Amino acid sequence: MQTIPSPAGAPPRDRTDAALLEVDNLTMEYEVDGGNVSAVSNVSFALHAGESLGLVGESGCGKTSVAMSLLRLQADNARFREGEIRLNGEDLLPLSEAEMRTHRWKDISMVFQGAMNAWNPVQRVGAQILEAINLHIKPRPTAAEARKRMEDLFNLVGVDPKMLDRYPHEFSGGMRQRAIIAMALSCDPQIIIADEPTTALDVIVQDQILAQLLRIQKELGMAIIYISHDIAVIAEVTQKIAVMYAGRIVEIGPTEEVFANPRHPYGYLLLHSAPSITGPRRRLAPLKGEPPNLLNPPTGCRFHPRCPFATEKCVVESPPLQEVSPGHSVECWHWDKVPSMAEEGHA
Amino acid sequence: MAKFITKRVAQMLLLFIVFLTVVFFLLEAQPGDLTQQYIGNPEIPPEQKAVLAERLGLDKPVGARYLAYMGNFFTGNFGNSLSQWPRPVSEMILEALPRTLVLFLSATLLAYYLGFVTGKVLAWRRGKFTEYALTLGGVGLYTVFYPWFALLMIWGFGFMLTDWVGFRVFPINKFIDVQDWVGSPFSANHVFLRMITVAALSMLAAAITTMIARRRLELAPALRVRNFAFLAGVLYPFVYFAMSPMRPYAADIFHHTLLPVMTLSLVAFAGIMLLTRASMLETLREDFILTARAKGLSEKVIRDRHAARNALLPVVTSLVLALAFVIGGGIITETVFSWPGIGLLLLSAVTLEDIPLAIGCLSIIAVLALFGHLVADIIYMYLDPRIRYQ
Repeated sequence: MQTIPSPAGAPPRDRTDAALLEVDNLTMEYEVDGGNVSAVSNVSFALHAGESLGLVGESGCGKTSVAMSLLRLQADNARFREGEIRLNGEDLLPLSEAEMRTHRWKDISMVFQGAMNAWNPVQRVGAQILEAINLHIKPRPTAAEARKRMEDLFNLVGVDPKMLDRYPHEFSGGMRQRAIIAMALSCDPQIIIADEPTTALDVIVQDQILAQLLRIQKELGMAIIYISHDIAVIAEVTQKIAVMYAGRIVEIGPTEEVFANPRHPYGYLLLHSAPSITGPRRRLAPLKGEPPNLLNPPTGCRFHPRCPFATEKCVVESPPLQEVSPGHSVECWHWDKVPSMAEEGHA
Repeated sequence: MAKFITKRVAQMLLLFIVFLTVVFFLLEAQPGDLTQQYIGNPEIPPEQKAVLAERLGLDKPVGARYLAYMGNFFTGNFGNSLSQWPRPVSEMILEALPRTLVLFLSATLLAYYLGFVTGKVLAWRRGKFTEYALTLGGVGLYTVFYPWFALLMIWGFGFMLTDWVGFRVFPINKFIDVQDWVGSPFSANHVFLRMITVAALSMLAAAITTMIARRRLELAPALRVRNFAFLAGVLYPFVYFAMSPMRPYAADIFHHTLLPVMTLSLVAFAGIMLLTRASMLETLREDFILTARAKGLSEKVIRDRHAARNALLPVVTSLVLALAFVIGGGIITETVFSWPGIGLLLLSAVTLEDIPLAIGCLSIIAVLALFGHLVADIIYMYLDPRIRYQ
């Protein structure tokens, strides 16, 4: 075990040596006319083999920016200011484009949002998967081996292997998403990033696909990072959850613990803004206001303009990430007051 | 596929009949024609006039003449030219058609190929100096007043360049230099047709070789075979004519095609380049480009295999629109360069009130335009699987 200093004066945290992916103090800005948009600030988390991590937050809070940074597919105007992204101990940020390309899909693959336009409309689905297989699997498989592999993958995700010879427009929405999962699995990646994997689908198909992802993960043992604004999805499939707000991870911990005991006011409000069908009846706590403009983020704690507990200190000083229970950390000066929100009529 | 093409051809045939009808009645409705010179001439006695009118079929009612005309047209009888009586119209068109086809086909192919390749690279170099310079130049060429530009090319390459280097680099007009053909054992048409045949066959051989290579070989060697086959396909006609007794005559015709082809393709090239650039920029924003990047493909593969093919779709559509230019631009180009093709023939037919020749020229232009549409449809179907089998 070794300890590394955390940003913003937080107490040192444990770093497990076995971590597959470690994101350390990642800070990324978009250069735009009139300044820098601070899209990702001091984000740190670790992902172990076979683990699932959920990134939740409102639109524009930096979830997708983090995900794209992991593959170094950030937009052209993005600039990494600080931090490291270590995959098996190797920092990805200083790599050349050519070196980075060998990691993409081979080590980290992606299931894209919607899947609607993730396929090239003028190429057969099989050809698009084959392209990834031929590029990354060494030694390069023969045509028959590659075909066998693709058929197995399609069987695994529950799509008729005959569909490999079809074009994307001949697939239904759910089939396209399954086929995307098959493509994401095609090079045996260690990590899959699932960016809103079920958002464009109807609830029944959503459920099937999530169940399938869980089953495949159990069988093949890769780590998955789920990105969603839908907390129900994250709750169902992850062991660890990171709540993002305005480019920062404000709360991170085991999924069950965070759901049962949210300690960040934002985490609390996010969880209680959606009704629960099975749980006790309770009043919904709507989250008022909008996420801040990151071109000019609020001083101190970025959540203070919307926070019911905000004090003078919150406006001036950014709170450190503090561990409130084993593995559960929160960036808030007033985390101990959060449980009282239930009594105070916020819920 | 076969069903689709049959349907399209049937539609086009119908459209063509409508077109012929409209042309016939339009020309019928206009006052005066060549026959008026005889029938209206007071020196000719009335009996003679009646004989003339009967001979020209002018004594019959319009409907009967229309039916007779359509009947004749579809049995291949286009009538005889009135201005070059009694040459058959079909013979005159057959003589002029290959010249027009060669001019426009080579200019179009050159412009589309170069325009697409340049536009593709331009989109990739977004924000660089080359992009700005070429885009600006392209907009200039695209919006230029075409007849003026053609004259400018003649002035620049025909006269200024000749003065500057001391010999004639580009002939300024016409199809051949007549004085070089005195005592020639070949007719200009014979040489020209031979040139077209050899070039077409060698390109066909290159295309077939490429197709076989695609089926049999891996991607990289197949691409090498393609490049080699097309290089050989382009070079072979030169070798063929260098060794043939037709050499000086073929060289003369080739020499004369250079400037008009260059002028036409420059203007078309600019439009295609700008369109490809815009279309590429749009395609690069698509999600599947991000997928391709995430897969770890190299920039070149993403550009050529994923973006370019999708960006090609609107460019092919523009081919259909560009066909309209063949009619207008054809007359202008052939007039400016005195190129004896269909456009010039049509112009002289109209100014000399030679109605059979005018209808013949217009109908052949219509056939070309309709055929171009069909070709564009087939290319589109091949490129975009979403519209197949409909």
